Amino acid sequence: MNEEEDQESRPKSGIGEALQLGRSFLDLGWSVVELLSKAAARLLPQKHELLHHPKSGRDEDREMEGAAQMSRRERIGTLLVFGFFSIAMLGGVGFLFAYWSGTSNTQWLGGSLALFLCGTGITLVLWAHWLMTHKQAVEARHTVASTQLAEKAAAKAFCDGVHDVRRRRLLAWMGVSGAGLFGMMVLSLLRGLGISPDKTLYSRIWKSGQRLVTLDGKPLSLESLVPGSMATVFPEDQIGDERAQTVLIRVKENLLQLPAERATWAPSGYVAYSRVCTHAGCPVGEYEAEQSVLLCPCHQSTFDVLRAAAPTGGPAARPLPQLPLYAAADGTLRAGGGFTAPPGPGFWGIS
Amino acid sequence: MAERESRVRPRVNPGFLQVCVAMLLTCAPAAGQGASSVPASDGAAIFAERCSRCHGDNGQGLAAAVTIAGPSLQAEHDLGYVMTAVESGPSHMPAFSRILTADQIRDVSRYVTSDLAVIPLVHGNIGDGGKLFRTYCATCHRTAVRGGVLAFAGRNAPALTDKSAALIAGAIRWGPGTMPKFPASVLSDEQLASTVDYVRFVQHPPNPGGDPLKQVGPVAEGGLAALAMLLVIAITGWIERGGKG
Amino acid sequence: MITETIARKASLAIDRRLRAAKFVRSALNHVFPDHWSFMLGEIALYSFMVLVVTGTYLALFFHASSEKVIYHGMYAPLDGQKVSVAYRSVLNICFNVPAGLLVRQMHHWAALIFLWAILAHMARIFLTAAYRKPRELNWLIGLTLLVLALVNGFFGYSMLDDLLSGTGLRIGYAILLSIPIAGPWLTFLFMGGTIPNPATLPRMFALHIFLVPALIAGLLGLHLFMIWRQLHTNYPGPKRTNTTIVGSRLWPSYTAKSLGLLLLVFGVIAALGGLFQIDPVWTYGPYDPASIMAGAQPDWYLGWVEGAIRLFPGINLRLGHWLVPELFFPAVLMPSLLFLALYSWPFVEKLFSLDKGDQNVLRMPYDQPVLTAGGVGLFTFLLVLLAAGGDDFLALAVDGSVIRIRTILRILVLVGPPCTAALAYVTCKGLKRRHAARARLRDDSSLSSEASPNVTTEPAVTDNMGQPLVLPLTEPSGLPGGD
Repeated sequence: MNEEEDQESRPKSGIGEALQLGRSFLDLGWSVVELLSKAAARLLPQKHELLHHPKSGRDEDREMEGAAQMSRRERIGTLLVFGFFSIAMLGGVGFLFAYWSGTSNTQWLGGSLALFLCGTGITLVLWAHWLMTHKQAVEARHTVASTQLAEKAAAKAFCDGVHDVRRRRLLAWMGVSGAGLFGMMVLSLLRGLGISPDKTLYSRIWKSGQRLVTLDGKPLSLESLVPGSMATVFPEDQIGDERAQTVLIRVKENLLQLPAERATWAPSGYVAYSRVCTHAGCPVGEYEAEQSVLLCPCHQSTFDVLRAAAPTGGPAARPLPQLPLYAAADGTLRAGGGFTAPPGPGFWGIS
Repeated sequence: MAERESRVRPRVNPGFLQVCVAMLLTCAPAAGQGASSVPASDGAAIFAERCSRCHGDNGQGLAAAVTIAGPSLQAEHDLGYVMTAVESGPSHMPAFSRILTADQIRDVSRYVTSDLAVIPLVHGNIGDGGKLFRTYCATCHRTAVRGGVLAFAGRNAPALTDKSAALIAGAIRWGPGTMPKFPASVLSDEQLASTVDYVRFVQHPPNPGGDPLKQVGPVAEGGLAALAMLLVIAITGWIERGGKG
Repeated sequence: MITETIARKASLAIDRRLRAAKFVRSALNHVFPDHWSFMLGEIALYSFMVLVVTGTYLALFFHASSEKVIYHGMYAPLDGQKVSVAYRSVLNICFNVPAGLLVRQMHHWAALIFLWAILAHMARIFLTAAYRKPRELNWLIGLTLLVLALVNGFFGYSMLDDLLSGTGLRIGYAILLSIPIAGPWLTFLFMGGTIPNPATLPRMFALHIFLVPALIAGLLGLHLFMIWRQLHTNYPGPKRTNTTIVGSRLWPSYTAKSLGLLLLVFGVIAALGGLFQIDPVWTYGPYDPASIMAGAQPDWYLGWVEGAIRLFPGINLRLGHWLVPELFFPAVLMPSLLFLALYSWPFVEKLFSLDKGDQNVLRMPYDQPVLTAGGVGLFTFLLVLLAAGGDDFLALAVDGSVIRIRTILRILVLVGPPCTAALAYVTCKGLKRRHAARARLRDDSSLSSEASPNVTTEPAVTDNMGQPLVLPLTEPSGLPGGD
């Protein structure tokens, strides 16, 4: 199936319009069905044996209401159910044919299955409408609560049983302690489900002196990027790691406004921040080069690259942890320490 | 033949008319000067006079706030396509068929494809391209390149469904508008080719499941499910017609 | 003739072993009121059945492991790429298993319909005050079913280990983590550690195919049993009192209509599954830590949480050197408060209500204007949040700034609910006046035409065996009648 161009997108009609459309569609369909059935009924002879079933009490009711009237209703009803059931059978055969012929065309399989199911469903409903009598019933509701007598009898049965048990208080205490102990035993099994939060949650990932490498392990140097370009980098020993991913951006050096203690962290305009959003953990992949802004695609948090990834809008509250950088003697870009904070979304004990 | 870049009518943007006027004003004088001072067969000179205004001195693209300014030509290797483009002016480019002679058009096109087109367009590995795409591109353009939202510049990341391979490759290196640049140290030429292959593939992704609902995803699916629910409620209305509860 | 003999022999055989006759007779005579709004719960039930049937088929092919393998299969663009075993099994279902894609899509569409049906059903229960005594427990069970359905839906599409659901799983991890004090412990308990974790996927699988459906099935059984035992409520009308129920009997018409609805719901889901693509995991690609996509949303029924997360400003709480992250408030606190309010609602309402005793006749929405207004306001609130969950698509549709859309929605979420609530209140009052006037007119006319030939003979009141009773029919007095 071809996709359409963006320009062709139609704005969705309001709910009211959709309802009206649906209603008129149904009306149209129903009037077509009625028309067809009326026309067909006129073609049939007066007496026919399409419907035959043994007499029951309900039959007598029906006969009392006017034999000629009801049999016409029967005829229309029979025609309708027969028609829709035939459609359903067609759908079913179509499905079997499509399936066994080895097609993988989901539309044919689904369409024929839908035809079968809807056909049989409509058949049953039409049967209820046309070929069953509608008798309303009025029934007395029994009150949900039991009678006082029954309640007392049940309470007595319980109390009598209780009184048969000797040393009840001891039993109660044993029950409570036993259940409590058993509960503790069961809950202990939960320990196997997860390790308790350990220092991995607090890790700052990078070690001083580690080289910044791309996804394929290529180290980067001061000539790798031009202002306005970015790369996704990792420490050498954690390539592809979720929490270690770092975004390396080169900006024009004179535009940077890092805090004083981080002045040496950006050689030649290279800055590196954790790529994991501090809001909900999505990789902050969108770099808007003109505004030097990192945008997280999940909830549209923005971080100012020039100001140590301070959050400037959207739901994030904490800046992206920054990675100190320096250029080593062999020209490669290296980390000057770990991130300023554990990467990723915040939690209770994060410092 | 020129099916690489179909002529799609752009949505009329508030700033579009202003840009059009601005471009006509800048390009018209250049176009109107006719065959005044330029020797007939100097492709580089013609390019410098007529094309660099919009496409940059080396055809690297104009880093304008408006992304419809001249795109990067550094991946245009198809001589025939470039000649057609110069003649007929696809998209927002003016047509030069009345202004330049056929020889001049051929010369400047040759200059573009031989001297300016420095990005090799080989065929890469579509699988690797997909992985790179999901690392760098899907975050702005979405997985089926139908375009995505950005925070600033009043303009969202465009859909790439009708872009040619050359245009895509050029844009990746050039970084039009607010898009970052991806130099060779980030995406090697082969990786670039792989990514371009993948983008071209996903312009028409396979949809065996039926109507793809414009590749929108859960938003459209929830909406359609709501409509289906209304249909089912209408069905219950039909089933219990006349029922008074 | 033959079918009758077989049927007779079979029922005799059963009865001789189970003494079923009396129960069968009362069951077949069971009265169900006729109204389309009473079928909404059935839609949910039938879509759940579709989920179980299609899900069983899928479970036979799905391989719940996040171990990485090299893909060599029918989908060429992933050939040679590292994907998880689970993701590969999903691609196998989609491209290799006959009718696999159809069953998978039907399963996912059925889940969406299931939740819409629960929502519609819940709205009907609330607007007609069907949660009153003796049905409070059913309201609680129904709410729990909703929570279980939400959870199972989330696990269902997150098991596939594709990029879209992997993004959602990251957010889920962050939400759990944001819970004060217990956050890191809960996260490590549920997910086995920091994500991505090989323990997470098999865990979701076990919960999704076994534990949660078993809970849903059990609670559903209880839910239906209680409706059976307490008898369904009636809308107000002639002969509909606290001590009588009016409707049609289970056999044969209600059975036919119910079965018909089951087949039609199944058919609509089949049509959706065959004709409309849903969750194309091959286009999204496999989850990878360095991969991320724009335009990622959860399925619609979690869109309200997503919208709250997007709209809530970046305000976190610093308590000394402890932190309550900004994600906690929209993603944990707000939904918890909402569900707490919903769970306690029948009991809160009882404090303000003058009703006494069993309530078997429903309240029309316009007869409870304050509650209806409240319900409409809450619904508007959730609807705006749902729209906010897709605010990036709203921005794309109008080619505008998502920041501006977000600001508009922030205002709308505060201003919208009171406005719609006021509108609903006024509408209810108007409808109430109109109905009261019409009822007065009808009473006046009925008094003067007691022996009118136009009045149809009404059916006799029966007991639960269908035998006519002689009972004085009283107006609803609120007092339980004697047995």
